[in-house]
Amino acid sequence: MTPLLKVTNLAVEFSTYGGIVCAVRGVDFELEAGKTLAIVGESGCGKSVTVQSMMGLTPMPPGRLVSGSARLRGEEILGQRRVQGKEVRGAEIGMIFQDPMTSLNPTMTIGDQIAEPLQVHRGFSRREAFTEAVKLLELTKIPEAQKRAKQYPFEFSGGMLQRAMIAMAIACKPSILIADEPTTALDVTIQAQILDLLQDIQQEIGMAIILITHDLGVVARVADEVAVMYAGKVVEFGKVDDIFYRSAHPYTVGLRAAMPVNDPSRNHVLSPIEGSPPDLFSPPAGCGYCSRCPEAMEICATEAPPTKALNRGHTSSCWLQQDGAPHPESLFFNEERL
Amino acid sequence: MAIAAFITKRLIQGVFTVWFIATATFFAMHNVPGDPLLNERAMTEAIRANVEAKYGLDKPLGTQYLIYLSNLTRGDFGISFTQENRQVNDIIREHFPVSAILGVLAVLFAAVGGILWGALTALYRNRIPDYLIMFFVILGISVPSFVIAALGQLVIVNMNSALGITLFPVAGWGTLGHMLVPSMVLGLGTMAYLTRLMRSSMLEIVSSDYVRTAKAKGLPPARIFAKHQLRNAILPVITVLGPAIAAITTGGFVVELVFAIPGLGRYFVQAVQQLDYTVIMGTTVFYGAFLVFMVIFVDVLYGLIDPRVRMS
Repeated sequence: MTPLLKVTNLAVEFSTYGGIVCAVRGVDFELEAGKTLAIVGESGCGKSVTVQSMMGLTPMPPGRLVSGSARLRGEEILGQRRVQGKEVRGAEIGMIFQDPMTSLNPTMTIGDQIAEPLQVHRGFSRREAFTEAVKLLELTKIPEAQKRAKQYPFEFSGGMLQRAMIAMAIACKPSILIADEPTTALDVTIQAQILDLLQDIQQEIGMAIILITHDLGVVARVADEVAVMYAGKVVEFGKVDDIFYRSAHPYTVGLRAAMPVNDPSRNHVLSPIEGSPPDLFSPPAGCGYCSRCPEAMEICATEAPPTKALNRGHTSSCWLQQDGAPHPESLFFNEERL
Repeated sequence: MAIAAFITKRLIQGVFTVWFIATATFFAMHNVPGDPLLNERAMTEAIRANVEAKYGLDKPLGTQYLIYLSNLTRGDFGISFTQENRQVNDIIREHFPVSAILGVLAVLFAAVGGILWGALTALYRNRIPDYLIMFFVILGISVPSFVIAALGQLVIVNMNSALGITLFPVAGWGTLGHMLVPSMVLGLGTMAYLTRLMRSSMLEIVSSDYVRTAKAKGLPPARIFAKHQLRNAILPVITVLGPAIAAITTGGFVVELVFAIPGLGRYFVQAVQQLDYTVIMGTTVFYGAFLVFMVIFVDVLYGLIDPRVRMS
């Protein structure tokens, strides 16, 4: 069976005053219909650039698509506006962003903004689209939707705006919803509500979700599959249980160890990953994580590790996973607290 | 309704502004050495006393001021000193419409041109159209209007002689042909200024989050431009439109002079030279009131475009 979305060897670079930044350096992942894929990694690892270039939202120039393909039901979408007679942006793939406060047009009513994709992609009249927009606001659990639809963004709170964004992104019942750090700008209780809402809507209309985040707690809560990104590459990909219980890359292990634990009885010290990510103006020849990796070997500095399939759907790009490599304790730990 | 209350409040403020303009002008004008009768033929003491009595110049300044204010509230600007028995009201009624048409055309030309050119430069940022337009913008801002006016006439003359017909008259007033070139000349500086403003405002909006959202929704570029970019980018341009109208209407006299247009600007300047008290007062107060009204109008317009202003 072909997956809903298959991204292979996607690479994007940006020319800046300082030189060329290789933001994404060969990303592969797959997404199945109706499932949730979480892309995790620290700031600047290329999570957002990956999805934005898929959507054609990275400005080119200065951006440049070096290589790669992204196939939706087997059809290429990179550089294409339409696939199988449907617009990719807005109709096939919906997208919500990090900061709902600035992501909506301040001089247009919420209802009109939600109605727009319906008018453009479905050919609804203004009135029909507006009625549908009210229904969508109800679906995203906004009280008094009829009244709210006629209001402007500045009259909404942050959480409400993100709900409105969701309503807008799902207006045309897309097969994929990309959520680029949808809860980062919101406070914790609202975060939980938004995540619940996303899951409810996912069940209702059966769309797949790509969730970009750097919060492993969020990942554990909603993801089916996880892609761990580092320095512009996917270093580990697998089911959520694989990632949390059978981590097969030192970076994933480091991320897990760095998660704060809410347990007052234990005297915990946060254990961060020391150092900082490599300079992507001149990406390292070997493994991107080499300089920070506690298990680094000589080969890691000079040759990029190949991607190795471990179990069904679990892959890792680390020399330690190759045949004949040493098996350090740290890599296969199964900490009791998880 | 909120908007009616807002307008009323601004109108009351406007009346005070106009009163202040009138008072300041009145006393400043009377402090200038000399008086309007100096230009007249030599007159005997008796005649001078008679004339002064006719215009009320024999009374103390405070009394003159009160009389002037009471006349003003009845909308009576008085009689001109230098043009015998001519009502200032008549001068304004006759010549202001000419200046107003010229000004309105110039402002329209400046606003539409500025917004479009500015948006274009932003969309073609750092490419040839941008460089080309910005070159002309620098010219438009730095070359004074009388130079452009003269150049405009030169172009008209050459064009007419090349075509063998009078496409545009070189000077005078009356038809649309008379109005077109002078208003373009008058609006050019403001258009250049608005282009620059619109460019920077548009550049900010092009890379804003909500334009990215609009793209992610799959809207066609034309719709993104019209509904998401233009309307938001226009806001800072609208705020300077009030002062721009002021600059254009009061700065019009140079262009009026070059193109021999019978506008109010000429009287404005002549009156100051000849210390024609009533005409100075009349034109100043009238222009003041006009500008205050334009600023209020622009504020209301701003409210219509930006819901955040309208509702707070």
